[in-house]
Amino acid sequence: MASLITCPHCGTRPKEEFSIRGAAAPKRPAPAAKDEVWHRYVYVRDNPKGRVLEYWHHVAGCRRWLVVDRDNFTHEVFGVMDASDFERVRGVE
Amino acid sequence: MPINLLHRHVLEDHISGFETNANPNHLSVIRRPVIFSVLAHAGYEAAVAEALHNADDIASRYCSPSEFLAVSQTRGAGSVAEFLTAIPGASFVNQSDGFVLMAISGPSVRAILSKCLAVDLHPDTFGEGHSAAMMCCHVAANVARTGRNTFELLVPRSFAGSVFDELMEAGSAHALTRGFAD
Repeated sequence: MASLITCPHCGTRPKEEFSIRGAAAPKRPAPAAKDEVWHRYVYVRDNPKGRVLEYWHHVAGCRRWLVVDRDNFTHEVFGVMDASDFERVRGVE
Repeated sequence: MPINLLHRHVLEDHISGFETNANPNHLSVIRRPVIFSVLAHAGYEAAVAEALHNADDIASRYCSPSEFLAVSQTRGAGSVAEFLTAIPGASFVNQSDGFVLMAISGPSVRAILSKCLAVDLHPDTFGEGHSAAMMCCHVAANVARTGRNTFELLVPRSFAGSVFDELMEAGSAHALTRGFAD
């Protein structure tokens, strides 16, 4: 596990300050989407080896949701951004 | 209206004994600080931070982009509340009873704090006037640098005893003394 996370608000912090929620890549479907789409969003997850996007909550710091882009095999962290910025960037795409 | 629990300070039992003179490395507990939690409304973050930064006798402690703690050791709660009411786009609540304010100072202060914090406190990365929320002795605390060798810690009241004991243990090798700042 990556041991140092550079929070965009607080600076470089140890991983003990964070709580991990899960994958940030799945997009929430529209409320009226089909049951199969919702089932896939809620229950079905890939288990990739390599680069992943995850939601991390900075519990002991700024208490903001962050999106950490890291490699779960080499433990390298490629980038950390605030979850609100992540949603904004994703919304534009 | 907060219930005033400070007539008997939460750390009163931890500070007893015969040491009266402070060593160069000293931990002082501020008896009755005024602490307000301030939340900035969306779009007002920078303006609220600026207003708090420029306030007289109020120290602004950074928690997150929209959350600050306003700490005063000289002004009363009424006066601070009046000041905060005048800031547009800010909501606040009196947290004076919920936090314990401790100041640690001395030449070995960084060596002592490095046993409690996992954050780089070098002046280049954590300079004077800098403050941030971080884990201190496994407790979510707010740490601020008020001078080259002076730090202030804000700890939730119910965890203050445990943090205080760990700080004293970390400071024992550096002859850390403690007392109320009266």
